[in-house]
Amino acid sequence: MAKAVGIDLGTTNSVVAVMEGGKPTVIVNHEGSRITPSVVAYTKTGEILVGQLAKRQAVLNPENTIYSSKRFIGRRYSEVQSEIKNVPYKVVAGPNDAVRFEIQGKQIAPEEVSAQVLRKLAGDAAKYLGEKVTDVIITVPAYFNDAQRQATKDAGKIAGLNVLRIINEPTAAALAYGLDKKTNETILVFDLGGGTFDVSILEVGDGVFEVKATSGDTHLGGDDFDKRIVDWLAEEFLRDQGIDLRKDRQALQRLTEAAEKAKIELSSVVETNVSLPFVTADASGPKHLEYKLTRAKFEQLTADLVERCAGPVKQALADAKLSERDIDEVVLVGGSTRTPAVQALARRMTGGKEPNQSVNPDEVVAIGAAIQAGVLAGEVKDVVLLDVTPLSLGIETLGGVMTKLIERNTTIPVRKMETFSTAEDNQTAVDVHALQGERELARDNRTLGHFRLEGIRPAPRGLPQVEVTFDIDANGILTVTARDKETNKEQKVTISGSTQLSKEEIDRMVTDAQSHAAEDRRRREEVEARNHADAIAYQVERQLQELGDRAPVNDKARAEQLVAEIRQLVKNNSSDIAKLRQLASDLQQLAYGLSSASYSQAAAGGAGSQAGPQTSSGGPGPSAGDDVIDAEFKQTK
Amino acid sequence: MASNAQSKSEPSESERLKAEIAQLKEDLRREHDLYLRSAADFDNYRKRVERERVSAAHAGKRGLILALLDVMDDFDRALAHAGQEPEPVVEGLQAIYRRLTALLAAEGVTAFESVGQPFDPTLHEAVGSVESEEQESGAVHDELSRGYRWKEELLRPARVRVAR
Repeated sequence: MAKAVGIDLGTTNSVVAVMEGGKPTVIVNHEGSRITPSVVAYTKTGEILVGQLAKRQAVLNPENTIYSSKRFIGRRYSEVQSEIKNVPYKVVAGPNDAVRFEIQGKQIAPEEVSAQVLRKLAGDAAKYLGEKVTDVIITVPAYFNDAQRQATKDAGKIAGLNVLRIINEPTAAALAYGLDKKTNETILVFDLGGGTFDVSILEVGDGVFEVKATSGDTHLGGDDFDKRIVDWLAEEFLRDQGIDLRKDRQALQRLTEAAEKAKIELSSVVETNVSLPFVTADASGPKHLEYKLTRAKFEQLTADLVERCAGPVKQALADAKLSERDIDEVVLVGGSTRTPAVQALARRMTGGKEPNQSVNPDEVVAIGAAIQAGVLAGEVKDVVLLDVTPLSLGIETLGGVMTKLIERNTTIPVRKMETFSTAEDNQTAVDVHALQGERELARDNRTLGHFRLEGIRPAPRGLPQVEVTFDIDANGILTVTARDKETNKEQKVTISGSTQLSKEEIDRMVTDAQSHAAEDRRRREEVEARNHADAIAYQVERQLQELGDRAPVNDKARAEQLVAEIRQLVKNNSSDIAKLRQLASDLQQLAYGLSSASYSQAAAGGAGSQAGPQTSSGGPGPSAGDDVIDAEFKQTK
Repeated sequence: MASNAQSKSEPSESERLKAEIAQLKEDLRREHDLYLRSAADFDNYRKRVERERVSAAHAGKRGLILALLDVMDDFDRALAHAGQEPEPVVEGLQAIYRRLTALLAAEGVTAFESVGQPFDPTLHEAVGSVESEEQESGAVHDELSRGYRWKEELLRPARVRVAR
């Protein structure tokens, strides 16, 4: 089945997206960009260039390069007089007062220009997907009238596409945030693009959106913000150097690019440097431009532009007969809504509501259109909705730490198994303490269940292998199983509702873990340092036992002393990580010496020592078998 | 009549079981289909992740190189101001510039020549047009910043002025 794509056919730029594996993806065009300029050029050689290529030659061919055709589509010539003044190409009246562009003596309809853009987007999408694309959804502003919508649909037809539906841009943006699932909510969509500003108020119920009001400013956008920075930089430079950079085309272009870059940077930092070395030259030599622009200064320069956004918001609220308190959701669209002052204004105008802005605002409309396309193509309903575990799951291991088996946000159903061992010699039972939470220590997390696996054959610590399995089925029911590999003895517990914590509870647990992260890490390191030192002490003790008299007397005395010191620290739950590590490392060195001594002495007798550690968490030696033992259980009595 | 209709609508045990089997078969078919779809989706996802891993590394590098090219432009502009007999400092700058060029070339990043070539929007971005004595109409008159290729692909078009 052919894929249906969603197209945001914008005034300055267009974006195409598709549902892939149940998730919307923005398609990268042939030139490697996620956005395509809505520009079409008719060259002298009869070629038609679309997008970036058309833009690159625009200054050479201004009368045959059409941009902003969206401002003309579906409109009458008599309606667009004010727009005509802003464009360098020729706009004339066609049949029935329809708008036509006059290109090389021929009349071309805005629909045909938009069709070129649509054809390119669909073509690039087909190349990306590896299959033909014919079904599309195209978005239009909510205020578009029937004629404008019909003309947009016709543009699709001219491009050889099957337009499944024309949907409103604000509706698409709301869809991208899944707001169609809300019942009876009022949504304000705040769309500040490159050159246009649109406010729409929608009401959603039963998955249907209704546009209650629209307002806006057809000539307000990010470009105006850039221009303010350009002017400020040029004025400063004029004052300092006596040269007006705006009169030098090349300098102006560098200035415009630097201004846009500075604006973008000021969304995340409060101060940026605009640096244009060798920006120009006069008789005295080359000149460099170097200014610091703070966010405060930028906000001062653009305060009136931001304020101009307030009027349309008020107007839309008034038209919908709503107050700011009636707005349930705010959605930000358009790259300019990344500007902090614009966000602050959007918040202020909607009663301090936190806006939806997690989806890239340049792409959110196309993504919503792709979701709608997926629904219409029957793709979305087939997707199984998979749940995730909201918190990590694991068990308590030696020293009271939590060893995680399943990380939070893992998609379920899922099954994870790890092998553990005993912490003491001749330990015949292990306690399995299943936990849920993000903290490092077991006692700070939530207990899900407890059980005891008995009947483990007495053996030195670290030798028995206990497999612990966490299995969560699609319904979120967790089964924890512990099995002794040698005897096949098994114990299990089933816990339902491990995924049914309230949102608040989950958030609290996650935040708790974040705020205690440093302290928890330190405590975990302490436990690990103690476990590690203790494991080496144990290993060396065994080694000494086996070596008996063959151990060099000096080494033996020193080792015994270190073991005693470590044992004391472990017993006292010492938090002196440095000392524990130092002692462990000294003892380890001694152990290497002892084992080489034992090998050289044992070589004649042929009796190899088997004193290698079965390994413990963070232990030094390699694991003896195929199974890595991740941690040890302490037997509680 | 009424009792007759009732006995017809009352299915026998075996009919009921047959219906149940049919239902279960249908359920199984649907579940199996869903399973196959998920498996296929996952397989495609895996392939895409691999593709994206490669292209993400590529895109990350590309971003860094593009930012470096801005600095290369600054070098070009700076060195354009150096006189015929450069001072030692300028000679040093030229050496640094050559090192940077060589470093980029080792990554496959090379500048291409535009002056005198016919204007081509796949390689050039027009900043303006000028009366030119040296160049034919429609050819690139001069470069304001150089265009670069990264192996085969166009990394950045040259910024040019075109002869009228």
